Amino acid sequence: MVSFTPKTSVPFFAEIEMERFTGLDYYRVDELYTDEERLVRNTVRDFVDAEVLPIIEAHHRQGTFPLALIPRLGELGVLGANLQGYGCPGITEVAYGLIMQELERGDSGLRSFASVQGALVMFPIRAFGTEAQKIGWLPRLARGEKVGCFGLTEPDYGSDPGGMVTKAVRRGDHYILNGSKLWITNGTISDVAVVWARTDEGIRGFLVEKGMPGFTAREIEGKFSLRASVTSELIFQDCRIPRENLLPGTAQGLKAAFACLNQARYGIAWGAVGAAMTCYDVALKYAKTRVQFGRPIAGFQLVQQKLVYMLTEITKAQLLCLRLGQLKQAEHVHHTQVSLAKMNNVDKAREIARLAREILGAAGIVDEYPVIRHMLNLETLYTYEGTHDIHTLVLGQDITDLSAFA
Amino acid sequence: MRIVVCLKQIIDPELPATQFRIDAESKRQQSDNHPLVISPYDENALELALKLKEQTGGHVTLLSVGQPSAVSALRKGLAMGADEAALITDPAIEGSDAFGVATALARGIEKLGHADLVLCGCESGDWADRIVGPILAETLHIPCVTFIARLEKHNGGFLAHRVVEDGYELWEVVPPVLLTILSDETNTPRYPKVKDIMAASRKSIPTWSGADLDLDASRIGKAAVRAEVQELTVPTQESRCQLLEGEPEEQVAMLVARLRERKVI
Ligand SMILES: Cc1cc2nc3c(=O)[nH]c(=O)nc-3n(C[C@@H](O)[C@H](O)[C@H](O)COP(=O)(O)OP(=O)(O)OC[C@H]3O[C@@H](n4cnc5c(N)ncnc54)[C@H](O)[C@@H]3O)c2cc1C
Ligand SMILES: Cc1cc2nc3c(=O)[nH]c(=O)nc-3n(C[C@H](O)[C@H](O)[C@H](O)COP(=O)(O)OP(=O)(O)OC[C@H]3O[C@@H](n4cnc5c(N)ncnc54)[C@H](O)[C@@H]3O)c2cc1C
Repeated sequence: MVSFTPKTSVPFFAEIEMERFTGLDYYRVDELYTDEERLVRNTVRDFVDAEVLPIIEAHHRQGTFPLALIPRLGELGVLGANLQGYGCPGITEVAYGLIMQELERGDSGLRSFASVQGALVMFPIRAFGTEAQKIGWLPRLARGEKVGCFGLTEPDYGSDPGGMVTKAVRRGDHYILNGSKLWITNGTISDVAVVWARTDEGIRGFLVEKGMPGFTAREIEGKFSLRASVTSELIFQDCRIPRENLLPGTAQGLKAAFACLNQARYGIAWGAVGAAMTCYDVALKYAKTRVQFGRPIAGFQLVQQKLVYMLTEITKAQLLCLRLGQLKQAEHVHHTQVSLAKMNNVDKAREIARLAREILGAAGIVDEYPVIRHMLNLETLYTYEGTHDIHTLVLGQDITDLSAFA
Repeated sequence: MRIVVCLKQIIDPELPATQFRIDAESKRQQSDNHPLVISPYDENALELALKLKEQTGGHVTLLSVGQPSAVSALRKGLAMGADEAALITDPAIEGSDAFGVATALARGIEKLGHADLVLCGCESGDWADRIVGPILAETLHIPCVTFIARLEKHNGGFLAHRVVEDGYELWEVVPPVLLTILSDETNTPRYPKVKDIMAASRKSIPTWSGADLDLDASRIGKAAVRAEVQELTVPTQESRCQLLEGEPEEQVAMLVARLRERKVI
């Protein structure tokens, strides 16, 4: 008899620690996705299990981004996957959302990379760029041969980007750019930066390329959140950018920048579900096996309450995402609906990560389990792309017609 | 080179053991809305076929016997790079044993026309009978070599690396031949690309009934089963802990004795 080790273990001998994540689908939402959407999701899920999870804790510890995964993501075709043409497959919005969910289940650093590349760099080039800009950048960004970043936030202007002081002044065939951008994901590893600056005609978007004279980037150290992601400062000192690097479609100013953020927030709403699902999954398995006072802690009412809360909120968030995806697909989505999903899902994911951390006790504070990493990452999600409170004000204004911003 | 890969769709074998339930009446694993996947070794067989196609050219066809849901397994195979796929599905085939499944596969392959290479997994991820391949070869009147990890082009045919207890056997094989494939570092299944998933979902997958294949009703389905499953149970795993008392030397002696008793050492 030949003996060998099968690729998969026979189910009944599988041990808790070795169990693969097989999803969380209490309301059979899976049935509402198409075959294509499920296959995309499962592919990215398998990819994350095999290629991301084994290496991510080390990157998180060292505070490094897994650069080697960039071409792999390109090969899979997940970068800018919901865009049409120029080397982008044009997948459904729901499939795109599921990709974001699974990437974030790996780590938010990876999902943030993909969000920035797809929604904040490829999207504006696709929507606001010239034919030459699209041909020149999109296929290479989609393949992961080139990396992009998005510079809106400044040291003194975060929630209120309209006050930005970065300036671009026209000089013949060039613009001269001065100012700086802070908290920029992918900054130091980028080949191209979509930079928003004030001009005589209002705020405009520019493609600033690596190596252009007067453009430097520096990495921000000491982060306790999104450690497996590059966050940078971009500095422009009399940076000369050719006129053809202006994104001509950004004449509507800040509205164009917000259109990009809206795309990225959509992905964050899904991503938060991925982080929450893995926290729940770990907490549930842990609670069933951890014995205190003579029985599994999952048997205590207080622990059950936490687990049930997690399950309930994840299920609600899944349904919210699906409906949002359908509306986006039909081009019927209002930006405030995206705000609501981003605000809710991140907020709930953040609570869920904390509850999972509690359930794990001391084990919850070490990176042997992914929970603390997600818990820390979610602090960034809570703040970037419009803070939780700013989205509350956006919604408040929408339903009352009264602005509470200033 | 025409390659046919036989894919079986099964309930995800990596589901936690706690979710594994058996239906007492039909003596089958309950589907319970669990995720369905391609039987793992069949993916290795497909990967081997795709690599071969990339190296030497060829045409890869997927064939499955199963429920209508098996279309999604075939779509994944198409997205990985297979050229076409067909599903044999018919309530009359349900409950077949390996002979029934192999009979249906054989008629399917005949309907496709000629096949130089027929690839099966070395065993399914659920029943693990390891027998469909050999019976299928017998039915098609072609030779069969089991447990193949690698295949190299060789003298107009192939050199097949067959895994045995203490290494490999090398077999020279000349098409037409059926091989059953196990996993190897050279046939780790690729991830389908997003654009290929989209292309695959637009391909049409013909479904064939027993009548379409002129299947002899007496050779398929429950009635044709040659062996009866008497009982099917989930083994319960029990672990007990026994503390050995005494001085360290006594404890060691007792431990060794116990291990000998249980033939561990
Ligand atoms: C008496 C009896 C009753 C049974 N009743 C049922 C039942 O009611 N329901 C049930 O689901 N099973 C039932 N089975 C299981 C039975 O049908 C097995 O599927 C069959 O014996 C083949 O074995 P296997 O699936 O383990 O395949 P193996 O022999 O281990 O398969 C090896 C390879 O053959 C190919 N292959 C196998 N099956 C297929 C397929 N369907 N399509 C395409 N390629 C395939 C694949 O490449 C696979 O890797 C029964 C078995 C017996 C003995
Ligand atoms: C890891 C990371 C990555 C990032 N990546 C990028 C990137 O790639 N590109 C980019 O452009 N930016 C990026 N950002 C920046 C991010 O978008 C900003 O941090 C965010 O917009 C908030 O701005 P701020 O940090 O300046 O906070 P502030 O705007 O100073 O806000 C501080 C606090 O005040 C509250 N607040 C502000 N205004 C009001 C008000 N009117 N009413 C009530 N409360 C108010 C806020 O809710 C918040 O709690 C990133 C940030 C992080 C942490």
